[in-house]
Amino acid sequence: MASGIPYQQALLEYRVNTSRPQRYPQLSLSADECASLLQAHHPDYAADSREILKVGINRHDPCHPKLAALLQSAPQIDHRVLENAPLTETEVLVIGSGGAGCSAALVAAQHGANVLLATKLRLGDSNTVMAEGGIQASIEPGDTPQRHFDETLRAGHFSSNKRLVEQMVLDGPDVVHWLIQQGMQFDLDEQGNLATRRAGGTSKDRVLYYRDYTGLEMMRVLREAVRNTSAIKVAEHSPVVELLSNGDGHCSGALLYSIEQQQYTVVKANSVILASGGMGRLHLNGFPTSNHLGATGDGLVLAYRLGARVQALDSFQYHPTGFAWPRTLAGTLITEGVRSAGTWLINNRGERFIDELAPRDVVAAAIIRECDEGRGVALETGRQGVWLDTPAVELRTPGILSRRFPKLIALCDNAGVDPEQSPLLICPTLHYQNGGVVISESGETTVPGLYCAGEVSGGIHGKNRIMGNALLEIISFGRRAGAAAAACHPPGNGELSVAHLERFRHEIEKSGLDTNATAPLLFPPYAGFERRPA
Amino acid sequence: MNPAPLNQLLRHPDNRCTDLNEWLASHGGNGLDMALSAPASLIPSIKASGLRGLGGSGFPAYRKWALIAAQANGGERYLICNGNEDEPGTFKDRLLLEESPHQVIEGALITALATGINHIIFYINPHLKHAIETLTSALTQWQQSHYPQQIEQALGTTLALKIAASPGHYIAGEETAAIEAVEGNFPFPRGKPPYPAVAGVNGRPTLINNIETLANVPHIIRNGAEWFQQLGNNDCSGTKIYCVSGDVVAPGAYELPMGTTLETLLLHYAGGVANNGKLKAVFTGGPSNSIVTATSLGIALDFDTMKQHRSALGTGAMIVIAEGNPIIPPVSKYLAFFAKASCGQCPPCTSGTYEMAQLTKKIVAGNGRQHDLDQLTRLSEILPRSGRCHLIDGAVTVLKSSLLHFHAEFQQAVIK
Repeated sequence: MASGIPYQQALLEYRVNTSRPQRYPQLSLSADECASLLQAHHPDYAADSREILKVGINRHDPCHPKLAALLQSAPQIDHRVLENAPLTETEVLVIGSGGAGCSAALVAAQHGANVLLATKLRLGDSNTVMAEGGIQASIEPGDTPQRHFDETLRAGHFSSNKRLVEQMVLDGPDVVHWLIQQGMQFDLDEQGNLATRRAGGTSKDRVLYYRDYTGLEMMRVLREAVRNTSAIKVAEHSPVVELLSNGDGHCSGALLYSIEQQQYTVVKANSVILASGGMGRLHLNGFPTSNHLGATGDGLVLAYRLGARVQALDSFQYHPTGFAWPRTLAGTLITEGVRSAGTWLINNRGERFIDELAPRDVVAAAIIRECDEGRGVALETGRQGVWLDTPAVELRTPGILSRRFPKLIALCDNAGVDPEQSPLLICPTLHYQNGGVVISESGETTVPGLYCAGEVSGGIHGKNRIMGNALLEIISFGRRAGAAAAACHPPGNGELSVAHLERFRHEIEKSGLDTNATAPLLFPPYAGFERRPA
Repeated sequence: MNPAPLNQLLRHPDNRCTDLNEWLASHGGNGLDMALSAPASLIPSIKASGLRGLGGSGFPAYRKWALIAAQANGGERYLICNGNEDEPGTFKDRLLLEESPHQVIEGALITALATGINHIIFYINPHLKHAIETLTSALTQWQQSHYPQQIEQALGTTLALKIAASPGHYIAGEETAAIEAVEGNFPFPRGKPPYPAVAGVNGRPTLINNIETLANVPHIIRNGAEWFQQLGNNDCSGTKIYCVSGDVVAPGAYELPMGTTLETLLLHYAGGVANNGKLKAVFTGGPSNSIVTATSLGIALDFDTMKQHRSALGTGAMIVIAEGNPIIPPVSKYLAFFAKASCGQCPPCTSGTYEMAQLTKKIVAGNGRQHDLDQLTRLSEILPRSGRCHLIDGAVTVLKSSLLHFHAEFQQAVIK
């Protein structure tokens, strides 16, 4: 990467203007131009963003190196822990308490199962609560699930699993109905009907929302419902550190670690639902992330070890406009609405370089291109960004920022920057894991007894996700996994086993990889977390 | 109850004492001398005294101390003396640091002896300029005395003492945020566990005690645990500095036995409620707790009783509103404080505090409508527990409790 102009110098050189030169004759790109831009500059396509897995069911498949290092790490425990840790039994074990985990637990309980819901942080601490945009469901007259289906596939560059997308879009209206039954509120239009708005890359108003708090409101009702369901027990601050099988290859439990008591517990279950979320906190390629503290990809690692097939672990979504400066706001996203309102992205020469409303992956790649080619603004940390030209939009339409984005203004004011006077330095921010564990329509993985729902699973969003489909997916597949897991009974009465760990360790040794590297990673290194050895 | 004379227990009798020799001449240093002669007895004494965290948590002080002391020997251990004090209506730490810095330092030194701590960091809000000056001068005097050498001998290692300006943000007073700040980072609260006693500054065992908590230590050791225990109310021992402000005749800091009733505090010490003498409400401890109303005048102001009343003592701040004065403006002001203090890390908190502040501001300005009030009520339901630290919960609590107690007032304030 070429070095850009240092931040302070660039800020001094910045001049506000009502018009900006264009770096390229055309800012809107054709499909071919988009493809070659992505190829050249999107982080997913960078040379150091991909390696071939050597171990496990997906060997020979590409994966991001940072994730590959974890997937191909040695387990941290062996069979002795099974002998020493106390045993508890449940019918369905759910791991993770965001929207997917909670809806799975509720539906499993509704189908008569006793459920243990184990969560790394507190009940409901998840990326779900941060989802501001809304949830997609084709409920408007003139809209159809077919259209929703087509648009989801197109946004994902036609690499989604069509069966899963079909199920999800067909579930849409019923998911909304179910959420309302749970007590969730949505914004209504003047006639009292559910209000909808349009997501980028779609042709119909299909996003239902509750002000800026859709995910939070969803989590509020799910959390209350979980608390009020006597068949669900909740274990907070209890990350899973290994999945267990019954010797016949059926997933039949897990090893939990209580952070509070620093103790391990073996959970025996008929089936396990993994709803452990994504992996933004791995900070792939050094990018900041919008994800919550627990998003470390640990669920993927454990499922992979047990033999669950994964897919597209080299595909991630980078939100184009996250704060690069002030550093304290790194990872905080600036809504697409700011660009929709006419705010330009400009490089260190004051030139516009992309249609700011192009798809997220294209805008992110264009920003990185400017930085790669020396037209970025550099921080001392080495991170580069480009300007979000807020003073120019303010000059063109005085008062627009404080009128339309008062929260952004307040946030900046708290952090000591003034977007009406100075441009904001932004950079792409790691937002979402597009791939994940392969699942069937019922959420079942390639390992019997192991189900996945939510961001940890893959196949639905292809290589790019549209706004609002994440909240739909977590409830749609959370409920599916819950129902299927409640009906799942392991064959025979095999003993709990960690034989798969021995096999996996052996495979790592054989492939010549470092056996000293271990996983899962429960928290990012800077969280200061240390687990007592088993 | 026969309240002890004002400001006789915690602070030096002369009220202001910034000279070490003067401090030592009036029984100062006795506690430290006793601690040096019998360090093993310190934690049992603190346990028996019932001293609790006076920064607001009310957590038994000895438990944190014992956790540190129980860590394997060797290596660095840190004490952060928390003087980040930033809550509206709270000014007790400033008072202690300005008027009686030696008491705080002596308390910190005894704490280090009890727990084997070898790094003491006085972590003080930079806005308290005068407090930092007096503390700096007081600390220099201690460093030139014979004590540091004696303590180092007892600890078997060197003792580092330093004053560090905190970032001054409200959240920087939270334990894990303080650790981040001491390490030179922005004070983002970390998740707990791991608890600081296990992995704090630089991953080492770290004890964080409030300035007022530490200031109690010398006289507990000097006068004995039993003496201290008798001062308080049941499981809440000793005294508390109550910071009274708002609509009272004589606002100020009053050190009184823990469990003094609200009525005694307001009528006997703070000169009564201003204006018409009638109490409407009190924002207690921060103000991130449920407000207390006139029906609770008899409430004992201690950790346990306040909790039973679904409020909290917090820092001991009592911001008084007289009958006839509106409740919404101060609520709006405190919500604006929380919005300003939200660090930006958790979107629901950033967004939620901002929106609550805006809606109440709109109502205060006379432009509020019914749907704004409905939205406030909704926010108070969906926002709790949406942040990694408790800032958002505090903000919601003050709103929710004022909506509960003064719903009619909110109703009247919005345009029909």
